[in-house]
Amino acid sequence: MGGYLSGMKRLGNIRAWIPRMMIGLVLLLLPFAIDNPFYQDTIITVFLFAGLGMAWNVIGGFAGQLSLGHAGFFGIGAYTSTLLYLHYGLSPWMGAVLGGGLASVMSFIAFYPCFRLHGIFFAMSTMAFAQVLNILSVYWTGLTMGSVGLLIPFKPSWKNFMFEDKAVYALIAFGYMALSFGISHFIKNSKLGSYLVGLRENEDAAESLGVDTTRCKLQAMMISAFLTALGGTLYAQYLQFIDPDSLFLSNISIRFALLAIIGGIGTVTGPMIGSFILTPLDVFLRSWLGGLYAGLGFFIYGCILIVVVLIRPQGIVKFLKDKMALLFRKRTQIETALPGVELISNSQMSRIRKKGCGEDGVILTVEDLGKNFGGLAAVKNVAFSIKRGEILGLIGPNGAGKTTLFNLITGFMTPDKGAIRFNGVDITGLRPPFRICKKGMSRTFQLVKPFLNITVLENVAVGAYCHTSSFVQAKQRAEGVIQFVGLSRYRDFLSASLTLSNRKRLELARALATEPELLLLDETMAGLNPKEIDEMIELFRRVSSQGITLFVIEHVMRAMMTLSDRVIVLHHGEKISEGSPFEISKDERVIRAYLGGSYLHADPA
Amino acid sequence: MRSLFQLFFNGLMLGGIYGLISMGLTLTFGVMKIVNFAHGEFLMLGMYGAFWLFHLLGIHPYLSIVVMIPMMFAIGLLVQRGLIQKLIDAPGITQIFVTVGLSMALQNGVLYLWSADYRGVKIPIATKSLGIGGATLSLSRLIAFGVTVAVVIFLLLFLKKTSLGKAMRATSQNWKAAWLMGVNIRKVYLIAFAMGSCLMGLAGSMMIPIYPVFPTVGSNFILITFVVVVLGGMGDILGAFFAGLIVGLVETVSGFFLAPALGPLVVFIFFVLILLFKPSGLMGRMRI
Repeated sequence: MGGYLSGMKRLGNIRAWIPRMMIGLVLLLLPFAIDNPFYQDTIITVFLFAGLGMAWNVIGGFAGQLSLGHAGFFGIGAYTSTLLYLHYGLSPWMGAVLGGGLASVMSFIAFYPCFRLHGIFFAMSTMAFAQVLNILSVYWTGLTMGSVGLLIPFKPSWKNFMFEDKAVYALIAFGYMALSFGISHFIKNSKLGSYLVGLRENEDAAESLGVDTTRCKLQAMMISAFLTALGGTLYAQYLQFIDPDSLFLSNISIRFALLAIIGGIGTVTGPMIGSFILTPLDVFLRSWLGGLYAGLGFFIYGCILIVVVLIRPQGIVKFLKDKMALLFRKRTQIETALPGVELISNSQMSRIRKKGCGEDGVILTVEDLGKNFGGLAAVKNVAFSIKRGEILGLIGPNGAGKTTLFNLITGFMTPDKGAIRFNGVDITGLRPPFRICKKGMSRTFQLVKPFLNITVLENVAVGAYCHTSSFVQAKQRAEGVIQFVGLSRYRDFLSASLTLSNRKRLELARALATEPELLLLDETMAGLNPKEIDEMIELFRRVSSQGITLFVIEHVMRAMMTLSDRVIVLHHGEKISEGSPFEISKDERVIRAYLGGSYLHADPA
Repeated sequence: MRSLFQLFFNGLMLGGIYGLISMGLTLTFGVMKIVNFAHGEFLMLGMYGAFWLFHLLGIHPYLSIVVMIPMMFAIGLLVQRGLIQKLIDAPGITQIFVTVGLSMALQNGVLYLWSADYRGVKIPIATKSLGIGGATLSLSRLIAFGVTVAVVIFLLLFLKKTSLGKAMRATSQNWKAAWLMGVNIRKVYLIAFAMGSCLMGLAGSMMIPIYPVFPTVGSNFILITFVVVVLGGMGDILGAFFAGLIVGLVETVSGFFLAPALGPLVVFIFFVLILLFKPSGLMGRMRI
């Protein structure tokens, strides 16, 4: 019985799917029940744009890369299948797949370099992409007939992807929508989905947790481009006429984005709901306004876009969910203690054993490390090593180069000279940072970088996917770590609602979830009150007792002195002292660095 | 040789126009750190304004600046207070899609009111040209170029010498510090945006003898302005001027050697390359 129940759970709450299936079935049969071509046309357009909106949402919503150039992919799909059909008689079904493939390849070529750009600059580059395709399609008259457009002669058959009965188109459009939905839903609940949301919220933090941000964005873009191009073929086959103006204009790109934004950007169902609201409105306006539609329709679209973005940037889905949550408020259960959590998993232990623990138990060696910013030597000839299992402290006055040293070790910066070895492997200048994380080293940031708009559990899950692709395993691991750092009560809270102290715990949890052997903690106690500092010291001790090596930057001397096995001191980028906390506190050079020369002979009594 | 000389002048003149329409965008970006995707629509409004003043009242386009500059300034004030001010601290998605929505609404509102017809102004000056060293120069383009130079000089002096200009530069560098030093940053934002808008009124009057106006004329120019502003260094007035000349030359020369329609294509590819390899622009830093 118990097995049966857990089996039901893993199938993802079938009961929740029943109403969705019912709605789907009704939508599927609707076009067959209606004999009015006008309504059938409306339904087809609704399905088509729902699919297109969801396709845009994969890159624009999940990954937060706001594309204003999806019209380009739409056009590639339409032109590829149409030209192959007209010139070689190739079935548009094949053409659709080829067009999708071509769009994917194009998106790879065009956006692989562009993903270095952020926000508006990325949006600008996507606009330029669609505009380039527009210019080409107008210019290349020999192939595309330019602005005249291409007419597909009407020869209905399954092979030709043309039908007399509009209901068949509706069936296909429904299939397209279902495909987009299925893929969106799959991505959202997968490792890729978790990674996309992570990089959307903060790219540096995602990298530090082992997320290959460029690769994830590319995957999302290629999937999105493929789906959009499929929609382009469907559009071409339905209208049997294409021209550059109806395919490549930026208005089309904006329309895809608009559906997602109105429904709920970044949600699976959002773009679909957006289409179910906007497209009928569009059709209604078109028939009501007649010839005036050309201007007024898009004018109204523009106004809706402004109002929604300003007033309900989260879209309708989120708004309704919040209202529903108020109506059917569930009592939140605070889970009782889970069984004790082992932070180093068995698989990881065996990995460590295989490596034979490096030479003489040393986990990290830094030799002669140097980094200059212009004329300033931020880090100069720094050398030290960390033994497995110890807690090494790093102190130094402000501007001593502590965080730079962390950035050099974790791959956020490339050293100018010197060498870094981790577990006996040379990792000097290994970039980008996710590669370092995969090797078993993770870090936190001085200024916390939580993924603000997702829950604590989702935050930690991004880290937990580092060594698994399984949703269930990642979730289990994340819950374990959350329990370990004492955030269970806040598991389902948005991380934006946490206090600073809890945000720091969250960041620690996220890093721990990647199963690190070495953890670099950058001023985790800064800004905490004495009680919170005591709790944090206790937490560090528990992390250390799990066999994880800690390298800690801290200004709170009380913590440093009680925690560290050894301390190294940086001043003006150079290591000026190294030893036990007691030795350090007696070192003349350290006192001089912190207090200045005149305090050197002050009587401590 | 002669045709190359001619080509060079054509590119320079086109570049002058690109510089002119980019000034407002680089100014507003420099001060407010917001990219106005509806910037091209302000040009469209400016051109329509000059067109209607000529068509209905017979006011010469170059005279119409007396009306158009204050009018576009007022429109700028309204739009800034109504929409743009709300975007100051908003996330990127809000900034992009509110201005994109504004662009869409303006474009199509005008399409509804005045149809998609291309409308131009036929005045003698549009066809006059001068010969300089074997090259022929259209007078209207030369005038536009002169106006661009005057605008650049005016803006540079304004930013350097007047207290409002200094307040703008301070706000651009660090709005919080400027605010604490007693700069009324709301006013600075308001004036900066309205200035950007009224520059488009000026540009519209200068361009209507050269280009016809239609509802989507702005979207033909907006990407070019992005190219110019990014190449010049976001917020850099002088940089935008020189970047405008470079873009004009690139478009004209590549259009000559490939095909006129492909000129902009080369510019956009150029654009993506700049974004990738020199995102801080020609001058290497953001400034105003």
